[in-house]
This record gives sequence, structure tokens and C-alpha cells, in this order.
Amino acid sequence: MANIVIRRRLALLFLSSLLFFTCLVGRLFWLQIVKGAELQKQAQENRMRDIPVEAKRGDITDRNGRLLVTSVSAESVAAFPPQIKDPGKVAAELAPLLEMPEEKLKELLSRRQAFVWLKRKVDYHTAQKIRKLRLEGIELYEESRRQYICGSLAAHVLGFVGVDNQGLLGVEKEYDQVLRGVPGRIVIEQDAVGRDIPSALHRFYPPRPGDKLVLTIDETIQHFVERELDKVVAQYHPASAVIIVMDPKTGEILALGNRPTFDPGNWQKAPAEVWNRNLAIWQIYEPGSTFKIVTAAAALAEGVVRPEDHFYCPGYIKVADRVIRCWKDGGHGSETFAEVVQNSCNVGFIQVGLKLGKEKLYHYIRAFGFGKPTGIDLPGEASGLLIPEDKVTNLNLATISIGQSIGVTPIQLITAAAAVANGGYLVHPHVVKAIVSPEGKVIKEFSSQPVRQVIPTQVARELCKLLENVVLKGTGVKAYLDGYRAAGKTGTAQVVSPKGGYVPGKYVASFVGFAPVEDPRLVTLVVISEPQGAYYGGEVAAPVFKAVMQDALRYLGVPPQEGLARPTKPWYEQVPESKPVKVPSVVNLPVHEAVRALKAAGLSFVLEGEGDVVCSQVPQGGATVNAGTQVVLNLKATPEGGGAEVTVPDLGGLGVREAAVLLEKLGLVLNPEGTGIAVSQSPAPGERVKRGLAVKVKFAPPELKTPP
Amino acid sequence: MRKKRAPDFLLFFTVLSLLSLGLVMVLSSSEYAALVYYGDGLYFFKRQLLHACLGLAALFFFLRYDYWQFRRLTFPLLGLSFIFLILVLIPGVGDTSHGAQRWISIGSFSFQPAEIVKFGLLLFVADGLSRRGAEVRKFKALLPYLGVTGLAALLILLEPDLGTALALAGTVFVLLFCAGVPLSTLGLLGLAGLACVGLAIKLEPYRLKRLFAFLDPWKDPLGAGFHIIQSLYAIGSGGLFGLGLGQGKQKLLYLPEQHTDFIFAVIGEELGFIGALLVITLFVILIWRGLRTALYAPDAFGCYLAAGITAGIGLQAFINIGVVTGSLPITGIPLPLISYGGTSLVFTLASIGILLNISRYSVR
Repeated sequence: MANIVIRRRLALLFLSSLLFFTCLVGRLFWLQIVKGAELQKQAQENRMRDIPVEAKRGDITDRNGRLLVTSVSAESVAAFPPQIKDPGKVAAELAPLLEMPEEKLKELLSRRQAFVWLKRKVDYHTAQKIRKLRLEGIELYEESRRQYICGSLAAHVLGFVGVDNQGLLGVEKEYDQVLRGVPGRIVIEQDAVGRDIPSALHRFYPPRPGDKLVLTIDETIQHFVERELDKVVAQYHPASAVIIVMDPKTGEILALGNRPTFDPGNWQKAPAEVWNRNLAIWQIYEPGSTFKIVTAAAALAEGVVRPEDHFYCPGYIKVADRVIRCWKDGGHGSETFAEVVQNSCNVGFIQVGLKLGKEKLYHYIRAFGFGKPTGIDLPGEASGLLIPEDKVTNLNLATISIGQSIGVTPIQLITAAAAVANGGYLVHPHVVKAIVSPEGKVIKEFSSQPVRQVIPTQVARELCKLLENVVLKGTGVKAYLDGYRAAGKTGTAQVVSPKGGYVPGKYVASFVGFAPVEDPRLVTLVVISEPQGAYYGGEVAAPVFKAVMQDALRYLGVPPQEGLARPTKPWYEQVPESKPVKVPSVVNLPVHEAVRALKAAGLSFVLEGEGDVVCSQVPQGGATVNAGTQVVLNLKATPEGGGAEVTVPDLGGLGVREAAVLLEKLGLVLNPEGTGIAVSQSPAPGERVKRGLAVKVKFAPPELKTPP
Repeated sequence: MRKKRAPDFLLFFTVLSLLSLGLVMVLSSSEYAALVYYGDGLYFFKRQLLHACLGLAALFFFLRYDYWQFRRLTFPLLGLSFIFLILVLIPGVGDTSHGAQRWISIGSFSFQPAEIVKFGLLLFVADGLSRRGAEVRKFKALLPYLGVTGLAALLILLEPDLGTALALAGTVFVLLFCAGVPLSTLGLLGLAGLACVGLAIKLEPYRLKRLFAFLDPWKDPLGAGFHIIQSLYAIGSGGLFGLGLGQGKQKLLYLPEQHTDFIFAVIGEELGFIGALLVITLFVILIWRGLRTALYAPDAFGCYLAAGITAGIGLQAFINIGVVTGSLPITGIPLPLISYGGTSLVFTLASIGILLNISRYSVR
């Protein structure tokens, strides 16, 4: 029998071990009874292997239900590495079918993973061949592949999907959750190395197909737009081009196209900057004269000007010690505000802008939606650039009035123009009309309610008339539509360099307009960046507007009207206003002097015969004729008998063709640079040069004369 | 000659119950893994059954073998166990598995020297303490035992096997407690032990992460927390009555060491709270009967030997269940009489034989 100390210690030991084990029982009670269910669920999930069953992605149709995007089934090859006994052999069999290197396949098949994809979305025949091999541990799973039925049509609106059919751009991204559906699952309980286990749990959760999207896009109008974009690219090789067609009453985008573009089915083949920039909502450019719509709307709404108010354009205006010149040499003279709009007179608009003041102009700029995204349901929209209001100088105010010193996106500009067409009500641009369930039930329809009224309806109507005159008599005559009253505004702006200032020789030609004026159905914006060969908005963009609108309105069944007013000739084909002048006598003068004298008198000329001296002229000197009348000059060789040298004529103010003819008559060659009107030349006028010499002449558009 | 009685039958049947339950659970828990890795579902079971028979033979042998004879064997046995402990550390002699050198193989026969040390050391300390009597109250008298224990623990730590080293030191500690070593001395020893553990961790920082993963296993579910999470999944899945024998799922290679260190998790999963409670109860009975044997032992040596054997088994069971339920830092230590493992089973059964032998000389 042990002593008392030991006895006590032994008893103590037993009691403490009892205590310790009781604690363990308590812990077990907590784990098994209290937390049991939770842990059991977690354990089950831990043992489950999910095999996803892809849901069929929703179709995308145009507004009339024409299918644009659908999903076709494609099979993907997967492997369960633990079940593969001889990875080398399986790899050798699969390599030629999957067109993959054998080593790569072997590596995949030898992985310590329960599941690996070998190749996603193979074609039907490959899938069949693999199925016939009946390889253990190799499975085929049905997935789907996105098919873009119309190729690159509306590529930037549709966007595209990644390999897991996840929307990456366009409505595919914006409405990914809608289109995606709910993937199904096959859940299999497996052991830790990926084998099915005895008495395993199997569950199948069927996928729910994605909902369908009905776009506001009209496939036919989109085709017109794509066609015109292709033409623009072929003709002008621009850096980029955008056309947007919108319903001004609802904000529904009927067509939206960009160049360059890509094929959504093969998006990887296009450079990233092509597919990730939806220029229609991303590009920030100086709108130039098209922005004068906003200035005019603000001025008319605020009552600072009325269409019949008189303006005087001396050809330039001084603002804060800077001289801003109007695009027209010598100015537009006396004109009404209606004519200011029609002529796109910079001086007039600057006066109006200064009169408005920055608070009011900025109020309207913001009200028309500039400076922030329009909220169109497409990813990647830019806000545009506004000089902060508190930093705006008078010079800024002047240039903003004519659409410079402000950056806008095409979608902002067309939305603003649509507000004018829509009686002053601003709408919310959008590309999705409705979401429809796979069973065909409409789940959601997108509101086309106007966001707010920007200008009173009366003012909007008044402005529409002024803009109609732009198409009838002003800078936009090439936008004239047969049978429909169109209104609009041209714009020719210089490209802003990222370093500040403008890039010489690079322009953005644009036109925004709508028709029919009495009840606008469509508003269209054409923005062509850096066209080559020509660059006036009225010359490059307006015809594109005409082509799209003419076809679209006819397609929509808008009845054409008879007996509408015809447009005048475009300004650059127009003869100056007729006023009586006296014809100077130029007989026996050298050609260059004769031409100078005629030009000074406001007459044009045509050369006949060979030589460098005028031998006779029709009409005779001293006759009184209308300004701009053509004087025929008959030439003869110089009295010296046609020497090897001629005098270089003054070509200033001549068009390219006129200059070429004149030089040819003198035995000289024209080396033109640019288009428009001759602004400088080399050698200088009056210099004696050898025949056959090339005269370098710089031509520039009149609007260039407006300094930034 | 002292008077012999019948051995403690309650103790005997408790041990038999644990052994049988262990055999069944080894079969249940190892069958799948054995099939996967060895192509024979009974691979582990057959070996365990063999060792159980060997162990029972040892038990019956020692049941009859007068435990007094061990006093003479103390030093040879201790010496032998130290030789093995050093041998196992020599590369080529000791077998490496799971990054530790814990086995010595002779032909197809292999064993863990640590199990022999446990027994040898127990004899040495029990013998020494019983000779010193009241001297154990002085710290100086304890020094040889502390020194030898420390050396053994250090050698085991080098394998490395922190769990066994701790169990060994713990057993000696409990023995000193029973022997009446003053609590102040024990407190100091405990602090010194903690310092050693701290040092061991500092030398191998991976231990720290593994040791304390039990506090929040979900922090590193695929790394340090993996074992414990899988173990908790198993135990939690059991609920009150368990999934039924053989119905466990966590043993399907999710639970590591499912038939050795983590077999208690399979018991929890298949037999539920009831089954786990039964196992704990059996161990508590074993401790009760073991300590009772110590209490009624005819002499100090028998008392210490019985207390030491009981403490060794009880401590291991406590640590194992504590680890498996995520209540203690993770240390690899088998559940006595239940976990798969030949050396451990044979030596445990042999020591139970000694315990039963001591119970035969109970004085009341």
C-alpha cells in the first residue's frame, strides 16, 4: 500500500485526467452535435466535383427580330488524369486529332488534378472521332460557341465573348448577366484523387438558358451604314469613321458603325485598339461647326438673339487681344442671324457666344448632355472634355461657341442634335429595346421617355428651320435629300494633338442632321477623322449623310414629298454675288499681269491659244459686266519670239484647276499641295523663270484661316 | 513469495474492447487506401491482426512474468534502447518515411526504437524513484532521471518526432508527480520543458506553423490546416450516431493517416458521438483501473511502474484525441490500442500485461 502522499497524488491524477477527458467530450459534443450538420455539408462540398454544364447563351436580334447573334453547340474535350493509365499512349492518339503537341498533351494528362480541359470547342467531326476512340478518362462536354451571323455587322454594338462565353465587349458584356443564363452542374462525389466513389452522390442541375436581347438596331439601316462606311474608307482612307443613326424621339440607336472594325467571331485577329474602342462612344474630338447648333439653341432659348437680328462680319473678330478670322476671306458682310447659321459664320457665332456669357452657355452645354457620359448601354463610354467653368476665359468662350476648345463624343453630339429635332426634349440613347425570355415572354422593355426638356419646343422648331437652310443654301447642300426636308450642320475641325495645339493638315469632317424637318424620324451623325484628298464636312461627310438618310427613310416607308425647294450650288462652286464692274483692258499685257488685273476687278477668266502675252480679249476693255463674268483671253507668243523664259503669274486666290490651266498656257507645270484656294507659291509672282519649271503652290481651305 | 490473486478483469476486458474496436476500425479506415495503394483491401488489417496476436502473446507472457524481475533488466534494457535510438538516426540503418527516421528494419521485421525507449525509461525511472524513497523531494536526487529522460527526448526529437518526445517527457513528469516530487519542483520542470519545446520550434520554424494551425485551420486550408480541417469534417459528419460502420467518406484519401494518427476521426464519423464517447469512456476506465493498480501495488516499484504505464497510455490517448478534434497542437502520435502500428501495439499490450501482473499482487 503506497504512502499517503502517493495516494493523494494518484487520486489527483485520476481526477485531473477525468477532467481532461471530459473537456474532450465537450469538444466532441460541440463538433458533432452543435456543428455537425454544418461540417457535414462542408465535407460533402469538399468531396464534390462539379462538372459545369454550360447554359445556352441568349440570342441577340435586331429590332425586327432578325437574328444577329446565336449560339451553336460545340464540344470540348476534357480529361480526368487519375483515370488515365498510360498518358503517353493517350497523348499520342489525341495529338493529331486535337492538333496539339504530344508533349503538351502528355503533360496535361499526367497532372495531379481531378479534371483538365484539353481543348475547348472543337468541331463536330473531331468530336466524333474522339468519341469513337473510347478512351478511358477522356470525356466530351457539350458547350456552345457564339456565332455572329452577319460577320462584322454592328461589331462594336454586339461586342464578343471569350472562350468561356463570357461577354467581353459591347452588349455581350453590358448584358452578360442577362444573356449568360444559369449554368447547370453535374455534381459527383469523388475521392481525393478524382475517382468516383462507391455509393457516391450524383446530382444533376439542368442549366437555364440565357434570355434574348432585342436591339434597337435595324439590320437594314445598319447595312446602309456599313456600306457607306466602306465607301468612305475606300475613297478617303480616313484614320477612322463613325456613323450613328438614331430615332430622335426615343433615343433608340438604329445603326451604329465604326471604322476600323473587326469580326466578332474572330476578334483575336484584330488589334486590340480596334475592338476595345467603340469610337462612337469613346472618341473625343473637337466638334467644330456642328457644335454651333448648341450655341444657336442656347442663344435663341435665352433670347439673346432672334433669327432676323443683324450681324456684320468683317472677316475677323478681336477677342482678348487675339484676332479670330472667319473662314471666308473678307467676311460675310452684313447678315442676319439666320444667315450666320446658314453660312456657319464664325464671327457671328462668337458674337452670340460672348453675348450669352459663360454661365448661360455652360448651362446649355451641360443640359444638352456634354461633359458627362450619355449613359448609353454599352461599355467604354467617354465623358468628353469641358474646360472647367471657373477657368473659362473670354477667348475660350469665343472658341467654344464655334465648337473648339471642347471635346465631345459622337454619341453626345448626336444626342444633343436629336434634342433639337425632338422639340427640345433630350432622350437617352440606348441600343437594347427589350429582354425576352427563352420562351418568348417579354421580361423587360426599355423606356424611351425623354430625360428632360433642354430648350422650349418653339425655339427648337425655329432652330430646325435655320438648320434646314444650311442644307438648302448653306454649307450643307450636299446633304440635300430628294423628297425629304433635311436639316443639319456641317463641321470641319482640326485634329487636336495629344501634346496640345493642332496637328497640321489633319481634320475631322463631320455632318449631323435629321429629316424630315416637319416630323423628324431619323437623326444621323457622320464623323470622318483625317480623310485624305478632301476634308470639308460639307464635302466629305454631308454626302454620306445623304446616302444613309435617303435609303433609310425610303426603307422606313416615310412618304417623299413633291415640289420641295431645290438647294443652291455649294459655296465653293458658287460665283460671287453679281455686281456691275468695268472690264479692264489687258491686251498686250503679259498673262500674269492680265490675270492680276482681272482678279482685282472681280472677274474670272479663261485662256485660249498658246503664248504668254494677251493678244485680244472678250469682252473688250471698258465694257460693264456683272462681277464674276468670265473674260476670254486670247494668247500669243511673246514679241521676242517665244523666249525660253516666262514671268510667273500671281496664282493667289485661284482654285487648283484654274491655276493648272494658267500655268500650262505659260508652259509651266503645277505642283499642287493641299486643296482649296492658292495661298502661297514658289517661285514668287513676277519672277522670270525657264519654261517647264514646276511651280509649287500651296492650297488651303478657307476655314483654315480661322486660327485655333 | 507474495500472494497472487486473479488479475484485474475489468482492466483486461477494457483493453480487449479497445483492441477489438481498434482492429475493426483499422479495417474500416484503411480498406480503401489499402486497395488503392496496395491492391489489397486487407493489407493493413492483416498486419494489425498479426501484431495484435503478438501483442496478446506478450500480454499473457508478462501477466505471468513477475514484474520484480524487471529491476534486474533495467540497465540492459535502457542501454539497448539508447543504442537503437542512436542507430535509427544513422542514415542507411534507420528507415525514412514522411521525412522522419523512426524505424529500424531487420529483414521484413521493422520496429520503432522510440517504443522500446518508452518502456526502458519507464523501468529506469520507476526503479530509481522506488529506491530513493523520500529522497525524491530533493531536486538533486532527480537529476540522473531528468538527464536520461532529456537525452532520450532529444534523440527522439532528432528523428524528428516531437509528439513521441513530448509523450515520453510527459510520462516521466506524471511519474514524478505520483512519486511526490514537490509541486514547486514540478512547476520549474514544466517551465523548463516548455522552454525546450520553444527551442525545438525555434530550430525548425515549420513546427510553429503546423503546431498552431489548430487554432484557425481555415487560414491555410491547403497547407498547415489541411489535416485538421479534413479531420473536423470527418468528426462533424458523424453527428450523434455516425454514418455507420464502413460508411465514412473522409477516409477516402481525404483524411491523411486515416488508419494511424487520425483513426479517431474515422471513429467519430462512422460511430458518431456515441462511439467516440464509448472510446473515451473505455480509456477513462483503463486509467481508473491502472491507477487503482498503482494505488494497491505491494511496493513502490510496482506502484510507479503501474502509474507510469497507465500515464503513458492515458497521456497518448489524451493528446491523440485532442489533436484529432482540433483542441491541441498537431503532433503525430498514435491512439494506443486502436491506431494501426505494430511496435506500438505490441509494446502497449506487453505493458498492459505488466500492469495486469502488478494487479495480481494488489494489497487491500
